[in-house]
Amino acid sequence: MALLRRRRKPEPSQETATPVGDGVAITVHDEFAMPSAEGNERAVMERVAATAARLGLSGARLERLKTAVAETAMNAIEHGNHCDPDLPLEVQVASTAGSVVVRIADRGGANTMPPAELPDLEAKLAGEQNPRGWGLFLIEKMVDEMRTNSDGVRHIVELVMHREEGR
Amino acid sequence: MNEFEAWLRMEGGAAVIDLSGLLDRSAEAALGEVFGRALAAGSGPILLNFTAVDYINSTGIALIVGALARARTIGRTVRAFGLSEHYREIFTITRLADFMGIFDDETAAVGGTAT
Repeated sequence: MALLRRRRKPEPSQETATPVGDGVAITVHDEFAMPSAEGNERAVMERVAATAARLGLSGARLERLKTAVAETAMNAIEHGNHCDPDLPLEVQVASTAGSVVVRIADRGGANTMPPAELPDLEAKLAGEQNPRGWGLFLIEKMVDEMRTNSDGVRHIVELVMHREEGR
Repeated sequence: MNEFEAWLRMEGGAAVIDLSGLLDRSAEAALGEVFGRALAAGSGPILLNFTAVDYINSTGIALIVGALARARTIGRTVRAFGLSEHYREIFTITRLADFMGIFDDETAAVGGTAT
């Protein structure tokens, strides 16, 4: 798995392109942090969407990325950082030649994602399964690839959306 | 983006709930209260108007699931209209579209003509 190398926050005119791991050039377009407060997932979504649009995503694929980013950020705020505004939600938007890559990190270490129970609508309607539990399901359905990892302190979710559908 | 609001009106025997703003955790109390009034208003279908909804997240999906479950316990039909293409896709992926009719507009939803 190609991991994005950490760099200082790029200035708008100083986007950085660095070959990493398997030789794929990664360019970082935006990096920012936000307090882990309920509702900030929408601010993250809008800021990432603006950058992703500039990178060529549009229409349905941009909408899918927006939903995945908002759900990932909400998981990070609620499950990773327990809505503690002193814990940062860190976001990076990058690209390769073929993809837009969004990384969202919280301070939850290795165990921050909710259990990945496959939502069963019939069971939910029958009261046999909690009506909630759609977040991870939606993230996985919305993006082309989703990867998670941890450096021991931070839990990092990487969302990949190819610039062209089916690549 | 706007705060969530829900308003109930009656149209041709159907209870229409006009939704607007953010359908997320903040919508829980208002949606629950208005949906309860719709359940008590006759026996016709309940129509959810999403035309003015800016944003639906996974918690909003759960609220719709909960409302649909309440309606099914007393045999009431729930239909939706005014969804954007993106949220139509989400209603399909989650299978909500299998349990509530999805319509282009209010006229079609009142008539129950599938789109």
